[in-house]
Amino acid sequence: MREILSIHVGQCGNQIADRFWRLVLNEHGLTEAGIPKEGSKADANANMEVFFHRIRDEKYTPRAVLVDLEPGVIARIEGGDMAQLFDESCIVRKIPGAANNWARGYNVEGERVIDQIMNVIDAAVEKTKSLQGFLMTHSIGGGSGSGLGSLILERLRVAYPKKRIFTFSVAPSPLISDSAVEPYNAILTLQRILDNADSAVILDNEALFRIAKSKLNRSPNYMDLNHIIALIMSSVTASLRFPGKLNTDLGEFVTNLVPFPGNHFLTASFAPMRTLGQEGQVRINFPDLARETFSEDNFTAAIDWQTGVYLSACALFRGDVRAKEVEENMAAIRKELNFASYVPTGVKLGYADTAPDGFASSGLALVNHTGIAAVFERMIGQFDIMFDNHAYTHWYESAGVSRDMMKQARDRVAELAQSYRDAN
Amino acid sequence: MDTHLERQITSASRSVEEARRAAYHDGSRVGALVEQISVLADLRQKEGDFRKAEGLYREALFRAQELRNVDPELIVGIYSLLAHLYDRWGKNDKACEFYQQALDISEANGLEASDKVATIKNNLAMIHKQLRDFTQAEQYYQDALECFQRVDGEESSRVASVYNNLGVLYYQLMDVERSQEMHEKALRIRQGLRGDSTDPSDLSQTYINLGAVYKAAGDFKQAEACVDEAKRIRANVNGYRPRPRRAASLLVDRTF
Repeated sequence: MREILSIHVGQCGNQIADRFWRLVLNEHGLTEAGIPKEGSKADANANMEVFFHRIRDEKYTPRAVLVDLEPGVIARIEGGDMAQLFDESCIVRKIPGAANNWARGYNVEGERVIDQIMNVIDAAVEKTKSLQGFLMTHSIGGGSGSGLGSLILERLRVAYPKKRIFTFSVAPSPLISDSAVEPYNAILTLQRILDNADSAVILDNEALFRIAKSKLNRSPNYMDLNHIIALIMSSVTASLRFPGKLNTDLGEFVTNLVPFPGNHFLTASFAPMRTLGQEGQVRINFPDLARETFSEDNFTAAIDWQTGVYLSACALFRGDVRAKEVEENMAAIRKELNFASYVPTGVKLGYADTAPDGFASSGLALVNHTGIAAVFERMIGQFDIMFDNHAYTHWYESAGVSRDMMKQARDRVAELAQSYRDAN
Repeated sequence: MDTHLERQITSASRSVEEARRAAYHDGSRVGALVEQISVLADLRQKEGDFRKAEGLYREALFRAQELRNVDPELIVGIYSLLAHLYDRWGKNDKACEFYQQALDISEANGLEASDKVATIKNNLAMIHKQLRDFTQAEQYYQDALECFQRVDGEESSRVASVYNNLGVLYYQLMDVERSQEMHEKALRIRQGLRGDSTDPSDLSQTYINLGAVYKAAGDFKQAEACVDEAKRIRANVNGYRPRPRRAASLLVDRTF
């Protein structure tokens, strides 16, 4: 068994958890209480143990740790129809809140709860036979997800040096911003992701908003956005959980997608993009599916497609697709993609038999594109304006994060952006 | 791997999980959780997994501080357990820091007279001795001695232990006379307690230490007599049959 432990941190991370676990429950034919549905076919072929721990016959509980510094979102999950699902010993919530401040999540409040979190993670890991790695969902602009998330990443890397750590990190959008100190939080977190994670999928609310809006006839809400993230996360792990012709695991993703150490920031695209309740209305033919999967405006981060090149790409198709069709179409798509000159080989492919709930077939692309430098450069630009004027830095200094430490994080991220630019 | 220990750890982990669930719903159950966590931490330490033991003790510490009626004795206890862990882990500066914090808290809460504080001082002295800060070590030993004498009376095994430790310290300082005096005091107490509360290996250790002192003073006859006595005591301890090489190594002075 190759189990995966999911760690959801902060408000955003837990909202994603809410959507994600609903989707996974459905895919595995489980009810909201973790009990197999009657007559469900899925349990015959599903590799349930990857995401679920069996407590006893007929009762499964997610391999997930929910962490938040304010009780709101978790309380909502617990009060909802998934009240019976999560193991309460795996939920860590504390009252004070990180107040949108990375330093409070990392130092002040984090210090007091990190041991508890690591103990809970250790206990969850002990229940696995051969853990493959961790998935972490968080936002990098807030306080808990960014500060506490960074601390968890650091500790995880020390405690489990050989396990894969994948993060799904929601980054601040270029235009919409929900807090003034986002650039600080984001830069400080990016440095930790750079140093401690094996791979990070950067998601940006604005891109998700745009995608959801173009496919919906109404204005999308956060639930729609989180649903898109959930679909991507579910597809990344699909071939571990369901049999297929070509299986891929987290390790293979990392080997194929990370050409240079540190350049492990990815962006993702899911097709066919339908939102909640719309699935399955259109049965899409394969060439369209493949094209939509690699369509530039379908990706979840504001990438500079013009000046950048592809370093690597990975496509995972699920459901009713034929290998021959995939190979023919992918060869054509591969030619159209602007790959770096030193990457002559193709796109890493994977298949899984079971499509997400409500879809006949689906495609997922995970790509490493040098245009992601634009995302980092934008954050550095915003960071510099504030930092040079000493704006808001006192909040960080009073919580034990010096200006030197912030400067150091900024320089590391700037180097990262430059290394992406140099890879062109 | 010790399967007995493994089984104990599995069941302790399960109890911690249960306690977590209970505490999640009911804040008044945190006290029970803290207790379960320290049991598991102790087992982890025995297993040699210091990182996990550290995490568990630290969680217990923060949880105990959250309690409505913070119990300073409990907090001091956890601080000294953590410090002891760092000591075993070889992290001397952290051990000192945590022992010091435990001392500060007990002072702030009027617990200076407690024997826990004396134990902490004794352990702190050991670390300082290792760090070759002998004056500080001596001071802590004297404090611990005074406290144990007050709590247990002169004729007690804990007092004897501190005398023994002081003797080893003076021996290291080449102060053979005082070392001899300390070891003789320890010997007298340990002999007096013979049969009931003392461990015979403690007594034989005192003979070995005394032997080393006599040897250093040039009195080889006395030294030999002491070592012979130590060997005789050890031979009587159930199942202890030193091999010749092992017996020779007994001559090297050792702390307990």
